[in-house]
Amino acid sequence: MSDSKNFTCIGCPIGCPLQLTHEGRDILEIEGHQCNRGAKYAQQEFRDPRRFLSTTVAIDGARWKRLPVKVTAPVPKDRVVEAAVEIHRLSVSAPVALGQVLIRDLLGEKGVDVVATRTMQRV
Amino acid sequence: MLGRMEGRYDVVIVGGGPAGLAAAIGAREGGAGRCLVIDREPEAGGILLQCIHSGFGLHYFKQELTGPEYAERFLLDALEHDVDVVPDSYVCGIGLDSDGEKRVRVLSDHYGLRTVSCRAVVLCMGCRERTRGAIRIPGTRPSGVLTAGLAQKFTNMMGYLPGRRVAILGSGDIGLIMARRLVLEGCEVVGVFELMPYSNGLTRNVVQCLDDFGIPLNLSTTVTEIMGQDRLSGIKVAPVGPGFKPDMSSERTIDCDTLLLSIGLIPENELSQSLGISLDVTTKGPIVNSTLETSLPGVFACGNVLHVHDLVDFVTGEALRAGRHAGEYSRGIRRAQDNIKLVPGDNVRYCLPHSLSTGHEHQIFMRCKEPMKPCEIIVGDIMRKRLSFVVPAEMIMFRIKPDALEHFQGDTLRIDIRPIEK
Repeated sequence: MSDSKNFTCIGCPIGCPLQLTHEGRDILEIEGHQCNRGAKYAQQEFRDPRRFLSTTVAIDGARWKRLPVKVTAPVPKDRVVEAAVEIHRLSVSAPVALGQVLIRDLLGEKGVDVVATRTMQRV
Repeated sequence: MLGRMEGRYDVVIVGGGPAGLAAAIGAREGGAGRCLVIDREPEAGGILLQCIHSGFGLHYFKQELTGPEYAERFLLDALEHDVDVVPDSYVCGIGLDSDGEKRVRVLSDHYGLRTVSCRAVVLCMGCRERTRGAIRIPGTRPSGVLTAGLAQKFTNMMGYLPGRRVAILGSGDIGLIMARRLVLEGCEVVGVFELMPYSNGLTRNVVQCLDDFGIPLNLSTTVTEIMGQDRLSGIKVAPVGPGFKPDMSSERTIDCDTLLLSIGLIPENELSQSLGISLDVTTKGPIVNSTLETSLPGVFACGNVLHVHDLVDFVTGEALRAGRHAGEYSRGIRRAQDNIKLVPGDNVRYCLPHSLSTGHEHQIFMRCKEPMKPCEIIVGDIMRKRLSFVVPAEMIMFRIKPDALEHFQGDTLRIDIRPIEK
């Protein structure tokens, strides 16, 4: 029994509507793309969809109340909200340097670190 | 971090966002000796500091950075170029001497009221968001109605959530980004409402900010009433018919405590107007020649104060050029006056710069009025360029090479976008 999934390509502003037909884990056909990026995107979205994540954590002793942070590698799409909740438990003190690692292997995902995306001096 | 403020500079830059910082670097590269950036916020970096999501720098740095990372790189680069950057300071006026010297009046938290003289000024004040008043939504005036960018600053820098149950009017990129942002902060986003039959944001933002979180995008729909006394208690929305007239028979109530507005940006040109600089009625920014110089000699403009850009990378490129021309101007280098007017034609909302000169390469920025695909850009009889599609949300950029203008005899060049028959 084959099944199908729909995606909208994000490769460029055309936003091709993609239809992927599959049987279990096997991809049978990808339709709707006007270039190769569309096919690759549909494949990735089907097999292992991942997203980058940016958010903020509480900081004290700095000019602002929040420090912007990001993950260094994409997390599985279905764990994005869980990842944000975990990051928000953190609270740091100024000074913090751009790129400083605040959490290693977020949610046990190897190589997914949380780093500061700006320098914040102590004021 | 506070820079020095001397009495005299070659180039003074108004605004320390991405445009201002790049203009300062460009001015130094163009030969300006002393360069000052004045910013009204407590630190330079502009709106990038609150844009904590990634997607910046793909064109310029060939890597994806967050807003604060992009800003920090440029701030460090400007300081390495020996530029003085002074925050917490406001330019309240610019006087002109008969010999072309400019006197910039600065009100500064640290230095008090000062006058700084210079040869050239670059306007980099950016843009501001349109508010409820710009579209006159009927209803009461409770708290909880704010622009998406302000909500972004509250959430990402100041540590305040704007509300709990949020509706968003307008599908511009800031609105889409804030929809995802607020979901990640634990809010419920009940829907995005867009007047037009298409989204005004990038496809990737519609997919990754709305679809990923199951947030409905309601096209051809607008807010018809704001309800609530002290705090917003809900809004009414209705689909729009021809002429964007809401169909009140299909009006429905949305329960929410916050309404974010993402309904467009307007260049912030009060200072330009006080100087008598001519503005373009469409872009709402200054009219500029091929060196990005305004109608006032020695005063240049770039970035979102000139026209609203899609990507900061394009602002950077434009600002480096404006800065370079300002630096050259400060050293007494003048280009011959432009001899060709550039005017928008069919399906062209605007095109920049407003004039060109033979013998130089030109970077053209333009926007279409309506989506069209496939189509062709026709520049007078000197150039044609095929595009698979154009949409109003995507700025169109291309270069005109010097040899294309070499044999052009006219004084006006018109740009059209026309469909290609399949």
